[in-house]
Amino acid sequence: MFRGRRGWFCRSVSADLRALWVAEGGTISGPHAADFLFSCDASHPDTLRIYQSLDYIEDKATVFHAYYLSVVAHADMKTSVPLGHFILPPACLQKEIRRKIGKFIWEQDQHSSVEKHNEE
Amino acid sequence: PTDNCSKMLENRCSGCKAGGKSLNSRNFSKLLHSCPYQCDRHKVIVEAEDRYKSELRKSLICNQKILLTPQRRRLGSDS
Ligand SMILES: [Zn+2]
Repeated sequence: MFRGRRGWFCRSVSADLRALWVAEGGTISGPHAADFLFSCDASHPDTLRIYQSLDYIEDKATVFHAYYLSVVAHADMKTSVPLGHFILPPACLQKEIRRKIGKFIWEQDQHSSVEKHNEE
Repeated sequence: PTDNCSKMLENRCSGCKAGGKSLNSRNFSKLLHSCPYQCDRHKVIVEAEDRYKSELRKSLICNQKILLTPQRRRLGSDS
């Protein structure tokens, strides 16, 4: 699924989720060379740096929650998992967004074992 | 008619439809901005992020002005 794609991972992402990326053919890269930017914590300094970058301001750096990789790994139709449901907005916006549209997709799945791994 | 309806819902937002095969962190925001029928979810996220980005842009321009102003003054007095 991710063959030839480069992914950057915030240190908030567990080793399990990184392994899923590699298992799908993805490689790990720095933030500038990456096709995909993954994080599990919008307030982590690594991810904050992305939100403050010129790429982000110019709409060229969307951060996705790495829970996406877990959903892809368990999906029958991997390409049909909507990437857009895993947008991770800056932490200071999340409260307002949650108030308007409810919980984020990675917050709804309370029973996911992946979530428990996210604590570092 | 119900079929049409579900089709409309399906086509409503490109951010909801698209998987990660052709999309990535580099082109996703552009896709969302160019989508004429954003769903509520994506509309809210795009609006919030756009506001955040414009504030960041403003503060960047501010910082640049502070950096450039003394230089400009010096150049002005030299000529
Ligand atoms: Zn949508």
